[in-house]
This record gives sequence, C-alpha cells and structure tokens, in this order.
Amino acid sequence: MGKHTEQREQKAEATTFMATNGRRQVEKDDDDFVDVDDSSLQTNQANYAWEEEYKRSWDVLQEDEHGSLAGVVNSLQKAAKRKRQLRDTDPIQRGIIRHLFILIDLSNAMQEKDLRPSRLSLTFTYLEAFIAEYFDQNPISQIGLIGTKDGLAEKLTELSGNPTDHIKALKMKKFMETGGEPSLQNALELARNSLIHVPAHGSREILVIMGSLTTTDPGNIHDTIARLMQDNIRASVIALAAEVQVLKFLSTQTKGTFGVAMNEGHYRDLLFEVIPPTAITTTKASANLVQMGFPARCNDSAATLCACHGKLTLGGYKCPQCGSKLCDIPTECDICNLTLVSSPLLARSYHHLFPVENFVEVPWKDAAMTTACFSCQKTFLSPHKVSVQLQSTTDAGRYQCKLCEKTFCTDCDVFIHDVLHNCPGCLSQPRRRAGGVIA
Amino acid sequence: MLFEIDGLPVYFPYDRIYPEQYAYMCSLKQTLDAQGHGVLEMPSGTGKTVSLLSLIVSYQQFYPEKRKLIYCSRTVPEIEKALAELKRLIEYRKSCGLKESILGLGLTSRRNMCLHPSVSKEKKGKVVDARCRNLTAAWVREAAQSGQDIETCSFYEQLENSEIRDEVADAIYTLDDIKEIGKAKNMCPYYMARRMLSYANVVIYSYHYMLDPKIADLISKEMSKESIVVFDEAHNIDNVCIESLSLDIMRPTLESSSKSIAHLSERIEAMKQQGSEKLKDEYEKLVQGLQDTLHAREEDLIMANPALPEDMLHEAVPGNIRKAEHFVAFLKRFNEYLKTRLRVLNVTAETPSSFLRHLKEITYIEKKPLQFCAERLTILIRTLELNNVDELQSLQKVAALATLVATYDKGFMLVLEPYESENATVPNPILRFACLDASIAIKPVFDRFSSVIITSGTLSPLDMYPKILDFKATVMESYPMTLTRNCFLPMVITRGSDQVAISSKFEVRNDPAVVRNFGNILIEFGKVVPDGIVAFFPSYLYMESIIAMWHEMGILTEAWKSKLIFVETPDAAETSIALDNYRRACENGRGAILLAVARGKVSEGIDFDHHYGRAVVMFGIPYQYTESRILKARLEFLRDEHRVRENDFLTFDALRHAAQCLGRVLRGKTDYGLMVFADRRYARQDKRSKLPKWINQYITDTSVNLSTDMGIAIAKKFLRSMAQPLETQAQLGVSLWTLEDVLARQRAQKEKLERAAAQGSVHQQHFLQYGAADAQRLAQDRATGAAYMDVN
Repeated sequence: MGKHTEQREQKAEATTFMATNGRRQVEKDDDDFVDVDDSSLQTNQANYAWEEEYKRSWDVLQEDEHGSLAGVVNSLQKAAKRKRQLRDTDPIQRGIIRHLFILIDLSNAMQEKDLRPSRLSLTFTYLEAFIAEYFDQNPISQIGLIGTKDGLAEKLTELSGNPTDHIKALKMKKFMETGGEPSLQNALELARNSLIHVPAHGSREILVIMGSLTTTDPGNIHDTIARLMQDNIRASVIALAAEVQVLKFLSTQTKGTFGVAMNEGHYRDLLFEVIPPTAITTTKASANLVQMGFPARCNDSAATLCACHGKLTLGGYKCPQCGSKLCDIPTECDICNLTLVSSPLLARSYHHLFPVENFVEVPWKDAAMTTACFSCQKTFLSPHKVSVQLQSTTDAGRYQCKLCEKTFCTDCDVFIHDVLHNCPGCLSQPRRRAGGVIA
Repeated sequence: MLFEIDGLPVYFPYDRIYPEQYAYMCSLKQTLDAQGHGVLEMPSGTGKTVSLLSLIVSYQQFYPEKRKLIYCSRTVPEIEKALAELKRLIEYRKSCGLKESILGLGLTSRRNMCLHPSVSKEKKGKVVDARCRNLTAAWVREAAQSGQDIETCSFYEQLENSEIRDEVADAIYTLDDIKEIGKAKNMCPYYMARRMLSYANVVIYSYHYMLDPKIADLISKEMSKESIVVFDEAHNIDNVCIESLSLDIMRPTLESSSKSIAHLSERIEAMKQQGSEKLKDEYEKLVQGLQDTLHAREEDLIMANPALPEDMLHEAVPGNIRKAEHFVAFLKRFNEYLKTRLRVLNVTAETPSSFLRHLKEITYIEKKPLQFCAERLTILIRTLELNNVDELQSLQKVAALATLVATYDKGFMLVLEPYESENATVPNPILRFACLDASIAIKPVFDRFSSVIITSGTLSPLDMYPKILDFKATVMESYPMTLTRNCFLPMVITRGSDQVAISSKFEVRNDPAVVRNFGNILIEFGKVVPDGIVAFFPSYLYMESIIAMWHEMGILTEAWKSKLIFVETPDAAETSIALDNYRRACENGRGAILLAVARGKVSEGIDFDHHYGRAVVMFGIPYQYTESRILKARLEFLRDEHRVRENDFLTFDALRHAAQCLGRVLRGKTDYGLMVFADRRYARQDKRSKLPKWINQYITDTSVNLSTDMGIAIAKKFLRSMAQPLETQAQLGVSLWTLEDVLARQRAQKEKLERAAAQGSVHQQHFLQYGAADAQRLAQDRATGAAYMDVN
C-alpha cells in the first residue's frame, strides 16, 4: 500500500511539472486525477475532438517495471539541465567588454496572460535573474534598460555596470505600467544614440523583448536598421507572441539571434542564451589596449561622500588615477572616466575565451568503468541494477572530460561549466592547464 | 541530379527533390507513355513547373520522336517564370555533358514585344495589334514595294529578308532574350517568335493562343499532332473556354458595326469604279468554296477550329453572299435585326434555334449564309485591302455571333437583359451570347493532340474536369504534401465565441449576430497573427454590405487598433495601390488586413507568401450568384448533357475558388500560414471532400468544428511553434529527397511490387509510396513534439 501511494504522489508531481505545457491542464484538479483510473481516461479522450489537441503529456511517460516514474522524470530533468550545457567551446575571440541595451516592450500587449502570470511580470522576474547572471558572467560589461510604450521610448536606466541599479529600476512600480503600442524605431534610435559613443573595444548590442505584434514608428524603420548595421550594433530579438517580419529582419540584418518563446521555460532559455559573449567576427586588427584601473578597497573611519551617488558612505573603492571614492566596482570613474575593475573580475571573464570543453556522455555499456563522481564522490547508479529496457530510454548520468578522462555526475557537470569554469580533474593533474587549449 | 524512371533518365536541375515531385513525374511519364490525357493536382509551391519541364524535356530528348512540348500558362509573369526554369534546366543538362540542341521560347502579345519606335509606345494591346497590321499586311508591303509612299515596319522587313532558322541558334529564349535578339538583328521579335514556333522544341505561351478560336487559328493550328500540351494553373480552364466563345453585344457595338458596314460598301463602290479585278477573283474563289481548308484538315495538317465546323467546309459559300455588295447588304439586315431586338424592355432568354426561327420570320435570313458570315467577312476584308482592322472589331463580333448562333444549336444560349443591374432605371440593353459548354472550345485540342496534361494546385474533385471538358483521362492523380512540420493549419470555424453559428447562407448572411461574429474573427485574428492577414468574401456586394455593417458596429475601429485595413475594389489601379501599401505595412511591422473578393483579381495570381499572408480567412462559401440566368442555363446544360448535378457543380466551383484563395498563403515548404474557413457549412463532409487532397490531409477532426476562441487558442500555439528555427537537415529524407533517397525508394518499390506480384495482387503504386512517407513524417512529428516538453 505504501508503495502504491508513493506512486500516486509521483504521478501527481509529474502532472504539475508537465502542466506548464498546456494551460488547460492546470485546471485539472490533482486530487481528481489521482482518483481516476488511467484506462477510463483513455475512453474519456474520445468525448470531444478538441480535447485531443491538449496533449496529455503524462501519457508520454512510461512507468518502469517497478511502477515508478522516478527514472523517467529524472532523466527528463537531467536532459533539461544539460541542454544549456552543450555550447560552443571553441577558443575564439569573444568581446568580453560588452555594452548591452535591453529594449522592453511596455505596451498593452504585455498584459496578455499566455505566459504566466503575465508577459510583463514574467519578463521583469526573468530580467532580474538575467541581470544578476549577466554581471556574474560578464563582470566588466554594462547594461542599460529602455522601455517603450504609447509610441515613445524611455530610458529606464543608463548604460552602467552596476547590477543593483538595474534591478532596483526593475522593481520600481512606475516602470511596470503599460500603455498603447510600442515604437521599435524610437527605442532602437534611443539605444543607438547611446551606443555609438561606446569605445571601439567594447561590443554594441541590443536585446529586444517584444510582446506586441505591431510597432508604430515615426519614420521608416528600415533606415534605422541600416544605420544599426553601419554602426556595427548587433540586435537580438525575443518575441513573445509570434514571428514578426520586421523583428526577424532586424535580427538577421544585424547578425543577431531571433527567437519566439514557446512557453515560460523556453523564454528563459532564450533570454539566458544572450549571456555568453558573442564571437567577434570583424577582422579589424587594431591594437586593443584598454586602460583600466584596479582600485583598492578603503575603509574610512568616518563617513565620506562618494563620487558616484554623492552619499555619505563608510567603505568604497579609491580610483587610482584621481583618488575619488566610488561605492562599487566594476564601474567607470565618474570623475576621470577610467574603467575600474578588480583582477578577480577580469579573471572571471577570461573563461569565455577558454571555456571548459563539453563533457562527453558515457553510454551504459561503458558505465561500469567508474563507480563515483570524481568531484563530489557520489556513487553512480550501477548499470547492473538498471534493466536493459530502461537503459534504452535513459542515459547513464555520467559525463567524462575528454582531457583528463575523469567522470562526473550531472550536477557537477553543470556546476563545472556554469560556475566553476575549471575542470577539477585537469587541475589535479600536474602541469596541465585546466580545460585550456592544448597546443 | 540524374535518376531513372522506368528506364527514362531524368535530369533534374536541383540536388534535392520533393517526394511529391518524384511521384508527379512518375504519373506524368505514365500519361505520356499511354499517349493519353492527364489531370494532375499538385500543391502550390512544391515546384510543379520544374518537375513538369524536366520530365517532359528528358522524355522528349530520350525518345526519337522528339515530341514537341507546348506549355500554356495563364499570365505573363507565370510564362516568364516557366521560361526561366526552362533555361536553368537546359543549362543543367548542358553541364551534365549532354550534346543536344533544344530550341525553347515564349510568345506573348505584340504589346510586350514590339520594337517599332512609335507603335511600341501605345498602351493598349488592341491598338498595337492594329497599327502593326497596318504596317505589315501583305497588300501594304506590296504597295510599298511597288514604289508607293506607304510606311512599313523596318523590323518586319528585315525579318522577311532573312532566314530565321539560320540566323538564330538553338537555345532557350525568354521573352527578354527574344527582344534582345530582335534589337541586335533589327528584326521584329514578335514575328520572329511566331516563325520559330513551328520548329521549336518547347513553346511556352498563354492559354488563349490555344483556346481562343480566333487566335489559335493564326498561331497554333500547325503544331504537330504528337505535341505534348500542358495547361498549367488550369483550375479555371472551363471558364476560359467558355469566355473564348461567349459574346456580349451592346448598343454601341451595333452602332459601330453599322458604320463599318457603310464604310465597306463605300469601298466596294470605289473598287468597282476603279474596275478592279479583285472582286471578281474573290467571287471565283468563293465558288470553289473552302476546299483548301478542307484538304488541309483532312490531311491532318492543322487543328480544327470550333468556329468553323466540319460540314461547312464541304460546301461552297452560298450564292446570296458571294457577291461583295450582297454580303454587305446581308450584314446590314442582320445588324438592323439585332438593333430591333435590343429595343425590347423585358428580359428574354432563348436558344439559338428559336433565335434563328424568329430571325427568319422577320428578315428571311437563312441559317446557311449566317454560318459563313465570319469567314466571308475575313475574305472580304482581305479583298478590300482594308487598313485599321481594329475599327471593324464590332462588325467582326456581329459576324462571329452570326456564325456561332447558326452553327451550334446546343451548348449556347442568348440572353437579352435590358438593364445593367437590377436597380438600374436607365435601360442599357445587352445581348449576351453565352457559351454553356466548356468542351466546345477545347475539343479541337483534345482531338488533335495525343497528350494533354491539365495541372494545377487546386483541381479537386478530379473527376469533374473530364466531365465538363468532355474528355477521357488516362491518369488522374492528386498528390498530398509531405512536410517535415505541419506548416499550414487549416481550421473550420463554425461559430462565434457566443456559439452563434456563422454562415454566408442567404437567409442569415445579413443577420447582425452573424456579421458581428465574422467581425470578431477579424478582430481576434488581427490581435494574434503577425504582419499580414488576407480575408476573402464571396462577392463585392456582400463585402460592401458587411463593411458598412462593421462600420456601424464599431468593429472596424476595433480592428484598426491592431492592423491597418485595405480593401480590394473592382478598379484595378485602386487595388494595386492598396496592395502596394498592404505590402509596405507588412514589411515595416505595422501589420495589415486586406479585404478581398474570392473571384477578384487578388484571389488569382497574387501570392501572399511569408509575412505578406500569415493567415487567410475565407468568410463564407464563395458560391456564384445563382440567380444569374446564364449560370442557371449552364447548370441545366451540365445536368442534361454531362449528368453533373446543379448542387455538385456549384459546390465544386465555390470550393475550387475557396481553395485557390486559401492556397495563396502558402508558396513553398519553408513558408507557413493559417487557413481559416469561417462558415458552418465547411464542417460538412460533402464540402470538405471537394477540397484538394493536400489541404484536406491536414484538416484534423480537432480543427473542424471550432468556435472563434478555440480557433484563436490553436492559432497562437501554431504561430509560436512555426516561428522556431527550421533546419534543412531535418527535412532530408522526409520531405526533401537526395538522390540516394530516390534510389532507395525505387528499390523498395520494386521489391514491393515484386512481392505484390508474387502474391497475385497489384496494389496501387501510389499508395505504397505514401504509406511509408506518412509513417515517417508522423514519427518525426512525435519526435519534435517530445523534444519540447518543458521541464521547469
């Protein structure tokens, strides 16, 4: 009996997490569902033709021989975890000093509730996470936010390297108000005007998040797109409703990416794809020396005014060039315009240039070779305990570094590639550069 | 790629081939082998033209008969597209190392091809034709040669003085190429093309050169009997046939023909006074009759002309119209009779025989001389050496009417309508001589050529065409569309969100609830569909009344919020401006709705690919105006003669137009779009079954009986999933074949056939082919669906 209830719970769990796929399923009460026998559900299906449209995603799941779904659910989760992992690991030149403007559509179309809770609030929630992650991965880059509604474009925040400013702005109520229709051209022009003053060593990027299907523009938007191309500004687009020609055109012309969000999870994926810096394709061979300051942290005994906000603070960073005090780094000194960073931040950006290579999935037949994850020492599921049938549908959950040939579990794989950016296996071997390029 | 179909090597100018293209070629080959006629339906945008050309050219070059290909299309841009494909194909064949000389060319009207400095400036096709004739007619040239000061066309003279066959090498010439050569050699491109027709391997021109008896007589009658004739975009071919034999006579027509008659008699007088021998010669010739034509036809040299039936050729021209002045008097009498008929103020409809009887009672004109009218007039014009033939147009029309009415007592009808429209108060009478039988005009084509292929994107139901055109088809085939993703979504919306059934049925079409629900469909789809939406109405009248009602209900204001709205009007210039702006709005992200009419200009020949048409909505079923007398007569005729029930024909006609409209949205496999059928009646099986197979195949049970809100929900999902990037790699092997796939398919098929033969049952080849492809596609769908299950 105990086993039976467990099975039920798992089924219920499966429904709730799959339910994000089709909205209709959310309406189904979990209790009802558990009481209904699967076979009767099958017959119910034939009641209305339109019901078939809403796929019963739980039908896709197959129970293993113990009547448990755990294995399947786990493998699905693992697959999702690893999906973002497999990215390009070629050592190529990437612009790690980035200047990104995010254009947020604040028109009435953003109130639509096809993405829960609504397009707008989901966008703001994701953007907060995005900004934090962006600065974590690109510490010496900058972001600016632009909103567009009622045919106008307005800067929510200026281009700056301080994540807290942006996140604070995103939390402000007045920016959450929507109205009228967006103006893509106005917003692009606004972003362009700020981006053309950016020094040449930094990349110029725009990310457009668009819920509306239309744009009301004062002039010909194709001129604006041509100007963006001229100024080497890359515009990527995430559309929330459908493929709009002008948005697609914008992204293909400026060599950006274009995506339409299928659902909440996909939206997040599309957004986070922007985080790794893009490759530099221009072959302009100029000496790219950038002047930077590495300020020292100072702790004053009495509060002094900071140069950035004009507030009395105790701690801060002192600009090595002009000696003014700033609250946070990375930033640009407000007095002498020197880029201020710290060496750990620079080092962290470095991993984009030499990423850890993708680990290779170990097939079940070779799975017996290792028993535990090299980094967390967790023991792997032994292949002898898993039936052949299940082996065909799941993967072994272990991943191997091609260089040091050490094996890791899924969680460590994700952790190594997302956070650590160094392979522990390679580092533990003497005289071998971690995850680096072998000449 | 190069592959074989039943031993025939086919050169296909692309590396990849769609499965339906392959199947299409197989059927085409069958048709040609059997020397029969074929009806083939293939979805639009799947490369019909190129498969057709590459198979037929391969066939032509492989077999010693070298059967000529005559490819008829509808519009000049389509002809140009076909010529460009042909050019590409021949280049490919050359690059494969084939040494062959193929002459292919296109022909279009003088207006598009003329090089003469002043004539080519004329805007109207008819004026160009007439002015050209004035410069190039035989007697004009004779006069000029004899030293008189008459203008001739230098381009034509140059052509006359040279042998084209030696001058122009065998190659493919597009319309522009011919013009270029003409310019370079100072020769008339139009006549050059016409002379080349007789020995060209591939000829591409408009329907009319084949179907219109007046033109076909000049251009196509000498085409060899073995030629392969293809009618592309042939879904409207019956209407083209009917139009080519129908005539409308109005008061101005008769006035102008009276003038021409007077002019003729003056000329005859003048000629008599000059004592010219010409009239006498003419008389002598007429006594001999039309023997020459008869001989030619008996020897199978030329194609028959439906306006000049067989039995007439055996007889001499009747005595009472042999003399020129007698004939003119005869024409005058007939013309006056028509004038009196037009004075009648009530609607009359009669058959040719009753018309003739009445004619005889009043004017004592017999049937026989009437039959010869058109022929006799042509001879007279030639004898009188008249210029400005375009001025005689009305008279020629009257003469043609005389001939046709006397020749056919079946398949035609005369309708006299005193008022233009029902509400008009000023009489403007029209005598419509309507052809009811589409098979009359096309009969000579079927009789003469052994292989005639009728093909289009929308020909369903296939058995209708052989019936109404009266021919036997050896191969009738409709191809489904193989797709990697379901790139179009047909849905039938039967009721509004308030559950009121919607329909354009006469009883309910102006019901405010129905009109409001139609409007709501427009508003709601305007909100979720990006860029362009095209909405079709059954008729201008209905569209106008609906738009007026929408305006009152505030529906238009609501729709304006998301899209701009453009409307098609009967005026061509206005429509083209609307279309232009519609396209602009689609390009710059503003989005637009185009309201058009199912039988209008927009529904035929204008493509709304990609963002120009992400959705197309068909409001109601585009039935013809059933109260029309001509339509009623035609229905009656079809029922009596071809056993086609009225309702079947009406539904067939309405649905082929609906399919044609909805097909506008999809031009190729990378494109995608929504097709919305907004009428309760589309949900019924009898309507749906008449849609082309490739559309029908994707109408699922789930999308057949929707309310507006359900439709919107499905549309949203569809648009999202279609916007995901599409990789060519995924299509390979399923909806796109490489050479290996073709070979593998052929091997599999061969094995299957052998097995089937062993079992003693021969399955239909086609079914075997598609069974596998469908299963594969389903598997693919499931795989892509599963890939996007979200785990969050």
